[in-house]
Amino acid sequence: MCGARLPFPCDLPFATDMPAVKAFIVEDSPVIRENLIAALEELAPIKVVGTAEDESSAVQWLARADHPCDLVIIDIFLKRGSGLGVLRAASELRKPMSLVVLSNYATPDMRRKCLELGASHVFDKSNEIDALIQHCTRLADGDTGPGSLTPAA
Amino acid sequence: MPTPLKSLALLLGSRYAFPLALVVALVMVVISEVSYRQAVSRLDTLGSQGVARTNIQTLLRSLLDAETGQRGYLLTSRKDYLQPYLAAQGRAVVSLDWLARYYSAEPETAALMQKAANAARNKLSELDETIKLFDTGKESAWRELVMTDIGREEMDLVRQLSEQLLARETAKVAAGRDSIYDTLMLSRIGVSTMTVLSLLALFMYLRQTTALTRQRSEQARLVQAERDQLEVEARRRTEQLTELAHHLQNVREDERHRLARELHDELGALLTAAKLDVTRLKSRLADASPEVAERLTHLTEGLNSGIALKRRIIEDLRPSSLGNLGLVAALDILVRDWGRRTEVAVDSSLAPVRLHPSGELTVYRLVQEALTNISKYARASRVQVSLSAAGGRVRVAVRDNGIGFDTRAPKRSTHGLLGMRYRIESEGGKMVLRSAPGQGTDIDAEIPEGGVEIERSA
Repeated sequence: MCGARLPFPCDLPFATDMPAVKAFIVEDSPVIRENLIAALEELAPIKVVGTAEDESSAVQWLARADHPCDLVIIDIFLKRGSGLGVLRAASELRKPMSLVVLSNYATPDMRRKCLELGASHVFDKSNEIDALIQHCTRLADGDTGPGSLTPAA
Repeated sequence: MPTPLKSLALLLGSRYAFPLALVVALVMVVISEVSYRQAVSRLDTLGSQGVARTNIQTLLRSLLDAETGQRGYLLTSRKDYLQPYLAAQGRAVVSLDWLARYYSAEPETAALMQKAANAARNKLSELDETIKLFDTGKESAWRELVMTDIGREEMDLVRQLSEQLLARETAKVAAGRDSIYDTLMLSRIGVSTMTVLSLLALFMYLRQTTALTRQRSEQARLVQAERDQLEVEARRRTEQLTELAHHLQNVREDERHRLARELHDELGALLTAAKLDVTRLKSRLADASPEVAERLTHLTEGLNSGIALKRRIIEDLRPSSLGNLGLVAALDILVRDWGRRTEVAVDSSLAPVRLHPSGELTVYRLVQEALTNISKYARASRVQVSLSAAGGRVRVAVRDNGIGFDTRAPKRSTHGLLGMRYRIESEGGKMVLRSAPGQGTDIDAEIPEGGVEIERSA
């Protein structure tokens, strides 16, 4: 676990110096969505360019060519459809974007399934927020290699 | 049926029928026996009457023979004639003696017989006297005696009396014959009557038997009808219970679903948002005092505990994987997690099947309940879980190599198994449980396919 102490400086000016990572968030809970956007934009060089509440609208948004994005954060359990469907559709687009899963249901089997479907990382909503932020920061640095920050099962 | 016959039938049909038949048979035997004895005695009497007639005639003829012998002797003086005379005399005496004995039993005839006997004896003594006088040479004396007509008178008297006796005997024979006829007629009437009565009794008995048989079959029919009725009732009740169980199950699952959703959506979002806030605070307060950092760590731990508790409650209430990942993935996760937790080797072969959500939940709960039972009681080292579809039916089976149990004995996990059975039956399926001590336990369930196959797992 990353713990309370971050290995890098987290001042606000730090974020503005770097080119912002464009992120798309698939999350059905408004409370989480708003808080997540705020936290990500505050703690990492990220710009949230769009959100979706369900599978079909997420897939539609991602499929459009005029919607460039570097990072897709996907919740598995949605109001309609499933994050797994979004994951499958997104990885089939073969766009140069990082697909990560942020779920309340990050069991080892679910992690395996998500990785199989093209996710580079799976983060647990309740205790791996720090790791997600670290991943976003690395992404802004140009490091997209998977596995380095993937939490142990 | 005329009234007397009806009352007779009633009597014969009653419980007195058998004793009555016995009495009738006894009477018949008595009548037959009495007639036989009467007839035999009558015939015996007729026989002795015949002998009496013969004796009377013998007496008369003997007297005539004796007279003839006497006359011959008197005319020829030849001793040859004395021989038949003496023989006839002897026969006459024998007959007289027999007749005297015979009539001594009949006082009214005895007097007549006495007269006849006296006359016969007088005749014999007259003959004897003449022969004595002839032998002693008293010529005139025997002639005198013969000429007196005493002999002829005596002879006539004997003849006359004999005829009277014969007439009496004839009358007695006729009376005896009439009596035999009467006896025979009585016997005939008796036999006929008894035969008719016997036939009547037989008829009544048969009628009664038929009625009894009919009554018995009617009773059997009623019992059968009642049994059928009970069976129908039991089936109806069972159907109602199954329906009720299904309804309660649905209500329970709906409630759990709603609760799980609320916990997940509302509480989960609040907790996650709080976590995000803490993360943001942490980054801002990175340089703050250790006290604040400690408080923040404590707050994070508190939130983590809350999240873990919420997650456990939700998973317990409703397998989130089922609705999101499909039955195969959910079962796979369930079985793997269970195997990891209990350290029991689990083989699973899970094929995609088409089921309604309620059917999927039923299968999931069945496997869940079976695994719970195994970890609680079975002490198994190996478990097989299989899900397959064939012929429009989905088959799910859970087998273990544990200690098993006697399926007939009242057992500890009855309600769990009964609940499973009801759930399966309410889905239109059936469940078979096979187990024996030391033989492990097999649970086999089948439910009809339904719904659209949704392959959510890759």
